[in-house]
Amino acid sequence: MPTTIRIALLAGVLALLSNLVVLGFIQWRTHDEAVSAQRRQVVEQGAVLADIYRTGGMRALGDGVEDTLAYGDPQTAVGIFNASGREITGNLAAMPRTKGPIRTGYQSALIRFQQQTAPREAAIVAMRLPRGEWLISGRTVGYGLALRDTLERSLLIALLGAVLLGLAGGVIIAQYVGRRVGRIVAVTDRISATDLTRRIPLSGSSDAFDRLSRQINEMLDRISALMEELRMVTDSIAHDLRSPVSRLQSAAHAAAETSDATERDQQLTSVVRQADSLMRILTTVLEISRSEALTSRSQFAWFDVGELGAELSEMYEPVAEEAGTILKFDRPGSPAELFGHRQLIAQAISNLIENAVRYAGQGGEILVRVGRHSGQLEIAVADHGPGIPAERREEALRRFGRLDSSRSEEGAGLGLALATAIAHLHDGKLRLDDNRPGLLATLDLPISRRSAGA
Amino acid sequence: MGRKILLVEDDRETAAYLAKGLGQEGHSVERATNGQDGLFQATDGTFDLIILDRMLPVLDGISVLKALRAAKVETPVLVLSALASVGDRIEGLESGSDDYLVKPFSFAELLARVNALLRRREARLDPADHRISVGDLEIDPLSRIVRRSGKKLELKPREYLLLEYFARNEGRVVTRTMLLEQVWDYHFDPGTNVIDVHVSRLRRKLEDGFDKPLLHTVRGAGYMLAA
Repeated sequence: MPTTIRIALLAGVLALLSNLVVLGFIQWRTHDEAVSAQRRQVVEQGAVLADIYRTGGMRALGDGVEDTLAYGDPQTAVGIFNASGREITGNLAAMPRTKGPIRTGYQSALIRFQQQTAPREAAIVAMRLPRGEWLISGRTVGYGLALRDTLERSLLIALLGAVLLGLAGGVIIAQYVGRRVGRIVAVTDRISATDLTRRIPLSGSSDAFDRLSRQINEMLDRISALMEELRMVTDSIAHDLRSPVSRLQSAAHAAAETSDATERDQQLTSVVRQADSLMRILTTVLEISRSEALTSRSQFAWFDVGELGAELSEMYEPVAEEAGTILKFDRPGSPAELFGHRQLIAQAISNLIENAVRYAGQGGEILVRVGRHSGQLEIAVADHGPGIPAERREEALRRFGRLDSSRSEEGAGLGLALATAIAHLHDGKLRLDDNRPGLLATLDLPISRRSAGA
Repeated sequence: MGRKILLVEDDRETAAYLAKGLGQEGHSVERATNGQDGLFQATDGTFDLIILDRMLPVLDGISVLKALRAAKVETPVLVLSALASVGDRIEGLESGSDDYLVKPFSFAELLARVNALLRRREARLDPADHRISVGDLEIDPLSRIVRRSGKKLELKPREYLLLEYFARNEGRVVTRTMLLEQVWDYHFDPGTNVIDVHVSRLRRKLEDGFDKPLLHTVRGAGYMLAA
């Protein structure tokens, strides 16, 4: 069944249901109204007659009954009966029949008018007079019945009209919805046909369709950005792998061409080293993308960064010594707990230390420090090497944004970029400052912004 | 001392290469080319080691591993994977594997790890007395005291851990990555020769003043402690 017809039918059914509810309500209310109006009239008429009796006695009451009947209302029933149930005056043929014995006050009863044979339903007020007579005053039920009939008939006609209108409205709504959705579909169709630059036009009313369209547009923006980044990464990988691959190639060629066994061994060792370095570059690029995609957040846990810093300093201390520098670790006074990825933070710190060892130079000193600052952890690695001039620091943090082409040989151009990506994974950042002289690299990490959610 | 190894690997070339190499080492190798067959064969439980590729048709390696561990099959498992990020390695280890090796790898690296895992199984099956000795070197894991020819050697805590790991794999090649993972518990690839520096420091303490070398460099693979 096409959606248009389904929506139209749904609208029709809804119109029918809502009208039935309204109709039922009117029916119930008008019935109630009629009953209470009748009761009021009956009680009032009884009270008037009682008053007449109180002020003028039996004589006046007889006149009052005559007067009441003189209006000629066919529903009015009045009568005075003696103690044995015979009518003294009025228009009734007999005492009203009630459920159980008749009692004073308002009640319903069956009455019979004079010259009529069929009893009729009525609401009456009965009053016992001092000498045992009964004053009966009431009205037959049925007043307003005709009115209600008309009302009901017109309501039924209205109901039919409402259902028809509902169906028509449904068709119109379905067509409108179809048109709006159609526009979105048209754009997504074109996007599937590889035109990723298209966006769904907004009507400006910020209704549900606009919200949907905006959501889709935002999603498209994100996809475009990711595609762009991917293209950039692929380009730069292709570009940056070119030189190590060609070095590998020439080493392999040289090994194949030499006849001297010792020399060939040397060449092959070089081939293996070049291949290793290529693998390392690829792994690091992968690690950066993984960190940027935030996939490893599920492996976050609490750990002591102070302890990790101490461990890594101890690990790199001999390496620094071989390179002719001294590596010192400044341990924080209290545990420096962080909610994060221990392995990746370890890798970021070791990248910074390796960088420092590589550039600190003979006789220099490297200081590794872990500290806390108002909800932030600071992991700083400072060296006294040549440093990076202020205007080139941003470039140094970028992927493949290395400052000197010789660094690419060891894939070191990626070290700072990876540290930056790992900092981002932890909602932090990597800062580069002047250590006067040398480079001061600081990882600023918020201690647990994500701890609750992760 | 040939062992029964199950190799679950869908890439024919890799599988043939590994099976040949392991066969030459005296092991008998059975092969499965998808996860489901691998799981079926592995639940036999008669293997000494399972080498499991992570990306497999029908049922991936991690699922096979989880199913095995859930079925209480405790055969050591070495996972091979092209997924090299630290997060992937941690995930691989946490899902119940005993070791994780990233592709591409050298056969020497694989063999070293296979031997270490088989040795660990042996050690688990018959708990040797707690003292370890390699030639004239004696290690007491309880007091962490190391003597060579009766002379006490002063080792830093990490140097001791390094030596103990070497000693537990006496006569077997241990690679740099294995040392980094097992002794330091880091699962990334350091850019520098940090492991070599530590090994050469340890070697100096072990061998200075003695004639016989103990800690050997195995070219293209790693190191080996042997008398």
